[in-house]
Amino acid sequence: MKEFIAKPAKPAPASIVGPVAWLRENLFSSPLNAITTLLFCAFIISIVPGLFDWFIWSADWAGTTQEACTSEGACWVFTSAWSQQLFYGSYTDGQIWRVNLCIISLFAIIYASTVVRADIRNKVIIPVFLILPFLWVILLNGSLIGLTHVSTDYWGGFALNILMAAASIIIAFPLSFLWALGRRSEMPFARSVCVLLIEFFRGVPVLALFFMGSVMLPFFFPEGWTVDKLIRVWIVLILFMSGYMAEVFRGGFQAIPQGQYEAADSIGLSYWQKNLLIILPQNIKVSMPNILATFIMLFKNTTFLLIIGIFEILSTTQTALTNSNWLGGHSTEGYVFVALLFWICCFSMSMISNSIERKLETSHRN
Amino acid sequence: MTTNNQATAPKKDKGDDMIVIEDLNKWYGSFHVLKDINLNVKKGERIVVCGPSGSGKSTMIRCINRLEVFQQGSLTVNGIAMIDDVKNIESIRREVGMVFQHFNLFPHLTILENLTIGPIWVQKKPKEEAEATAMKYLERVKIPDQALKFPGQLSGGQQQRVAIARSLCMAPEIMLFDEPTSALDPEMIKEVLDVMVELAEEEGMTMICVTHEMGFAKTVADRVIFMDGGEIVEENTPNEFFDHPETDRLQLFLSQII
Repeated sequence: MKEFIAKPAKPAPASIVGPVAWLRENLFSSPLNAITTLLFCAFIISIVPGLFDWFIWSADWAGTTQEACTSEGACWVFTSAWSQQLFYGSYTDGQIWRVNLCIISLFAIIYASTVVRADIRNKVIIPVFLILPFLWVILLNGSLIGLTHVSTDYWGGFALNILMAAASIIIAFPLSFLWALGRRSEMPFARSVCVLLIEFFRGVPVLALFFMGSVMLPFFFPEGWTVDKLIRVWIVLILFMSGYMAEVFRGGFQAIPQGQYEAADSIGLSYWQKNLLIILPQNIKVSMPNILATFIMLFKNTTFLLIIGIFEILSTTQTALTNSNWLGGHSTEGYVFVALLFWICCFSMSMISNSIERKLETSHRN
Repeated sequence: MTTNNQATAPKKDKGDDMIVIEDLNKWYGSFHVLKDINLNVKKGERIVVCGPSGSGKSTMIRCINRLEVFQQGSLTVNGIAMIDDVKNIESIRREVGMVFQHFNLFPHLTILENLTIGPIWVQKKPKEEAEATAMKYLERVKIPDQALKFPGQLSGGQQQRVAIARSLCMAPEIMLFDEPTSALDPEMIKEVLDVMVELAEEEGMTMICVTHEMGFAKTVADRVIFMDGGEIVEENTPNEFFDHPETDRLQLFLSQII
């Protein structure tokens, strides 16, 4: 019988590999593409040097007062002079290590969750994650653990934006999964409660929710019973976030094939085992881009706290801008700085979520 | 081929009733999918169910582990009556393993984790014991070297063999196969059928298999059932079933598939 021998693979021709081929294919594939490329290059050349000059070259970097700002460029003296306010608000001097500890613990646990084994992650990291926001409250408040009491009136700055967003996301994540499960439930009562919660918190603007939380909610509390304004706002953020995330998870549920539920049922997993062990991990995988979008939205929405008088970064920037020693019109620097901080954080979140997606992807090669 | 199949598939002692289905009726909305189904399956019996698509054969076997709910009649699995109660359903599912047309492996877990998740979480076995059992069954289905890969990295035939091993790890009394080879490339059908034949002949497992693999039916089955329009039209030993069909409907069906 004739033997079949598979042909060896040949290298690809030079016309489809290499830098020149890449340029031709991606930047100059058609006249329209070439024109767009050239226009874009012209745009970059006309804009970037000026920006670079303002930002770095002719900017003022050294000094402590407004008088140090003499040149044409940006006055970064403003942001460095106000940096403590911008990052920590009016948190008591000498106690700022507590804020730093909170932020470090957040990044440490995020990093830890990416390097430890899966069973340690499930048994240790996730529970720690869930109690972390409460530890922050105890640490920042201080009176419970014998540290100097720092009232929430003094909490502020960019640290507050970060911690507020993180604390809300951490609690909203499991809560929204429960809501999404409830919405799919066959029990009419659970389903209608969840639908009501989701639609309410998703349908009302976040600003309106903040006002309700800060102004209206106290009327509903019993006489003499007060909850700190920041805690009320935290609850509002959690509920708002949960409304959005629940719908993200619902989309994820619908993307998971029915066969996965049936297979889980057929090997006898209970309702909770099925949803937590089989469905949730797959749901997170398909929902990752939307989950990230929701995180970023919530993080940026923390700047709205300014309107109800909480000293997050935008609010402290405004305070700095209206300070009598700094009335030189530094609003461009101030807001550019805030924008840059937010952008750096959001971009890092994007990168992290991309790497998580890639990590999850290897297990789904089909 | 048909004359000596009894010799290649020696009968183990067929004991008590494993599955008893009496006057089972099921509707999807107003559509009557299963009509007065009566079926007794003895311990160790191997049953092949065939019929045109939409005849209700998958629905019938999915009723046995409550992936489908029926409205009338009764169903008893290994002495446990199917009633609308979580505990009851869980104990029935513990008796019954199922293999699906599209494998339905858990894509986010490795092969080994796919096999141990049931024993660890449902049967509360220690991880080491569950893994040892899993490896034993992976060897039985001849892919122990794939244990640490993910389902997406395996071929269809390998995935289906893993799915069979996953069910076996739960030590079920009954195995249900819902068109296990229909989604496979022709070259992979045999490797899955071989595993199923081995399972039937060496383990004496009670099996109900929905399939159109008539060769499999002839070698392995004790009884072949033909369904159409939601009813059991005919059931017989493979010899009688293929050589002397009683109804014209089955005759027509056989003439078209063979």
